[in-house]
Amino acid sequence: MNKNTRIIAESLKKRNRSESTFRLMGLLGIISAISFLVIILTSIINEGKKAFVSTQIKLDIFFDSKILDPSNSGKITEIENANYQTLIKASLLNFFPDVKTRNDQRDLLSMISSSEQENLMRTLTNDISLMNTKKEFWLKSSSKYDVINKNPEMIDFAEEDRLISNQQLFWFNELKKDNRVNFGFNKIFFTAADSTEPEQAGIWGSVMGSFFTLFVTLLLSFPIAVAAGVFLEELAPKNRFTHFIEVNINNLAAVPSIIFGLLGLAIFLNVMHLPRSAPLVGGMVLALMTLPTIIIATRASLKAVPPSIREAAIGMGATKMQTVTHHVLPLSMPGISTGTIIGMSQALGESAPLLMIGMVAFIVDVPESFLDSSTVLPVQIYLWKSTAARGFVELTAAGVLVLLTFLILMNSFAIIIRKKFEKKW
Amino acid sequence: MVSKKKIKVLTKRVSVFYGDKQAIKDVNLEIYENQVTSLIGPSGCGKSTFLRCINRMNDTIDICRITGKVLIDNDDIYKATLDPVLLRARVGMVFQKPNPFPKSIFDNVAYGPQIHGLTNSKEELEDLVVNSLQKAGLFNEVKDRMNESGTSLSGGQQQRLCIARAIAVSPEIILMDEPCSALDPIATAVIEELIDELMQNYTIVIVTHSMQQAARVSQQTAYFHMGNLIEFGETSKIFQNPKNKQTQDYITGRIG
Repeated sequence: MNKNTRIIAESLKKRNRSESTFRLMGLLGIISAISFLVIILTSIINEGKKAFVSTQIKLDIFFDSKILDPSNSGKITEIENANYQTLIKASLLNFFPDVKTRNDQRDLLSMISSSEQENLMRTLTNDISLMNTKKEFWLKSSSKYDVINKNPEMIDFAEEDRLISNQQLFWFNELKKDNRVNFGFNKIFFTAADSTEPEQAGIWGSVMGSFFTLFVTLLLSFPIAVAAGVFLEELAPKNRFTHFIEVNINNLAAVPSIIFGLLGLAIFLNVMHLPRSAPLVGGMVLALMTLPTIIIATRASLKAVPPSIREAAIGMGATKMQTVTHHVLPLSMPGISTGTIIGMSQALGESAPLLMIGMVAFIVDVPESFLDSSTVLPVQIYLWKSTAARGFVELTAAGVLVLLTFLILMNSFAIIIRKKFEKKW
Repeated sequence: MVSKKKIKVLTKRVSVFYGDKQAIKDVNLEIYENQVTSLIGPSGCGKSTFLRCINRMNDTIDICRITGKVLIDNDDIYKATLDPVLLRARVGMVFQKPNPFPKSIFDNVAYGPQIHGLTNSKEELEDLVVNSLQKAGLFNEVKDRMNESGTSLSGGQQQRLCIARAIAVSPEIILMDEPCSALDPIATAVIEELIDELMQNYTIVIVTHSMQQAARVSQQTAYFHMGNLIEFGETSKIFQNPKNKQTQDYITGRIG
């Protein structure tokens, strides 16, 4: 063994050791990142899954014509405006005959969600032959009972810390013993907009709001950004001015999103007088925010098209524009659409700029157009999170799950597009 | 050699600059119709740059500037009224690395006629594509898979596809920039045979690093060194008895 070999052999030990340390640190980083992810996801899923079902209580409802149609007119309008609460009350009192005082009766009635009165009315008006018959219904409980039912540990809380009184708990347990309590699919969560009552609040309003908003964003940002990217990369002369524009576009991508919201407030609302809280304006603001992302993605994918393809087209006598539209742009489309979808999912999760233009509003109707007042998914989550009622906790988590599902879907779509249309040359 | 040769391309004192750097210095060269002219010389001598002057491919490089005159059929191709698109339809080009479009074999060949609007019907276009592929000696190999991607072919086939693509618009001149440098000897031999056949109908200018190839395929040879045209003449004379010392050194392998 000569001298050099010995020196190398000694240093090799040290070098190998530092390599394995580095490897270990990397592995630790990955493991901690994954475990944080797992912790976050499990806690959200555990809480959120509760919102997908709701507590139902089985009651026998007697459609009493003396209550619903006292004048015996048979008119639908009369039946529609009748007091269905009385039917529910009668059914409950039938089960708990001992409840006499007015206060107790009101406490008992609060067990059933007020939204069920309308459901009973619908059932009857759809099938008027039910009049003066008894029918079994699974009625949605109010949120307080739902929370107690989903979180049994709360039963042991002191009465004043619990959402319902001892008396109410007793009634609820009686119904349970009679197998009149179970869980049903919470359809309202997927069909309704926001509400002050947790059991009547749904995510659909904000899903539609997000849909309209993102539609406007895509419609505005995609063509403008691709045109800008193509111009800068393929057509514009490389001079100081275009270089200045390039630097600024790259910087725009790093501008805090709330700034775009302020811009939207100042220009779209105060100067152009567009409606407040509308997906149209939200979409315009998010389009401003998404533009730099798509421009950068477009330019990167245009750059990735090999020059030999351009030379081939130019050599065949194609004009600059034909070269771009026939060859360069189609080849860079996978990259551009990936960038666009990533920009879109960024916009989907954005709330700050929308707060500026009034999309942080309590909206009880599902929006039907680009001008209807609406909110979006992340803002809805924020709104629920800041509401006091206990029932909104699980709704918040469920909202996060819905948002995450959309994000995962969009990102997988981006991956699929990239894999499918990737061309080799 | 036949003494009566028609000059197809004539360059007069052509110089090319990349920024401040002069890549071609006052080159005067005659390229004869229906002959193969090969441009040889060491790497970086400007032979490719010179080739790209003939179809104005250098226009696409921002910092590139050209002085002097390039005449095709006695007509200056750098005059302001001439559209480079028209010129490139007359002067086809085959590149060093085979660069078929990532489209079907059919679409590759049909691209030129389509953008220039050369055919009136689908049948006419199909005939033209088949005809061009036959001329490029590729038709029998690809006739059953015209819809497969051009990039799925082997390197030699890809290069013949590029030749078919170029001749589909019936150019008068075909420029070839080291067309065989990425190919194996067998594919090279096929292309060289093809060049021999194409010579009947087209004027061919070929840049090559292989002196054997220049000797095999060309009738005229031009030797470039450091942007200068050192020697130009009939290939047999250049190779057997070069007048210039530099040329002699290069072809005997002493420099380059």
